[in-house]
Amino acid sequence: MADQADFERDALQYTRQLFSAAMRMTRNPSDAEDLVQETFLKAYRAYHTYEEGTNLKAWLYRILTNTYINNYRKESRRPSEVDLGAVEDLYLYRRIGSEESAEAARTTEDRVLDGLVESDIKQAVEDLPENFRIPVLLADLEGFSYKEIAEILDIPIGTVMSRLHRGRKALQRRLWEFAENRGLLPEDAEKP
Amino acid sequence: MSGRKCDEALTNLYQYLDREIDTASSERIRAHLDDCSGCLDIFEFEVRLKVVVRERLSEEVPPEFIDRLRAALDRESVADR
Repeated sequence: MADQADFERDALQYTRQLFSAAMRMTRNPSDAEDLVQETFLKAYRAYHTYEEGTNLKAWLYRILTNTYINNYRKESRRPSEVDLGAVEDLYLYRRIGSEESAEAARTTEDRVLDGLVESDIKQAVEDLPENFRIPVLLADLEGFSYKEIAEILDIPIGTVMSRLHRGRKALQRRLWEFAENRGLLPEDAEKP
Repeated sequence: MSGRKCDEALTNLYQYLDREIDTASSERIRAHLDDCSGCLDIFEFEVRLKVVVRERLSEEVPPEFIDRLRAALDRESVADR
């Protein structure tokens, strides 16, 4: 059992990470602040049920995610299988790699990776349907393991893996579009 | 670049990068990457992309929000007493 007096010391260190995730979930700063505050208040009230020595960060993310889904979600749960469409594996790499020489491909890789700005990456993540967006955030922003993500979201590990796989591919397709709009690709690069 | 070893490496690419793969498979893939520049190129690109995505998703927390948060928690703990 954890002592509530320790809550600020133990939990507030995750504020920046929780806020970063909340920004991509709610898509606006004011809702993200409210969501993070509500998460901390809920966690504080329930802190006596938190078992010390277990994964505090994952516990906080579980509260964050559930609070988001129950109170902040604006989109209805839709069959996201349809939303993503089919995207081939290694989407971004394959498109960049269609350059003639390895050297040219490497130059384009650098230009794309350096040239995609924060707002592109953030928008690309926000454009993912929620079923895919949250697992991608938990894995790629937070570095949670598949097992931790499965526990946070209450879904089987196999589902985590398939949503991550498809979500990342869809993310790459969106990043390719941003790269194209920013003129980061050579004129003759293959159009998607 | 082709063949069974390439297939194994590429099929398990994300599990490898996410460190979600058993030691034996991981070692087999690592050995393959030493031999196969085509696969190594792909893995390196995906690693760089992963880093770029993580770094550029991180947000600064507004300082006034931290104050608001602490104040809310303090109110909550006073209410407890």
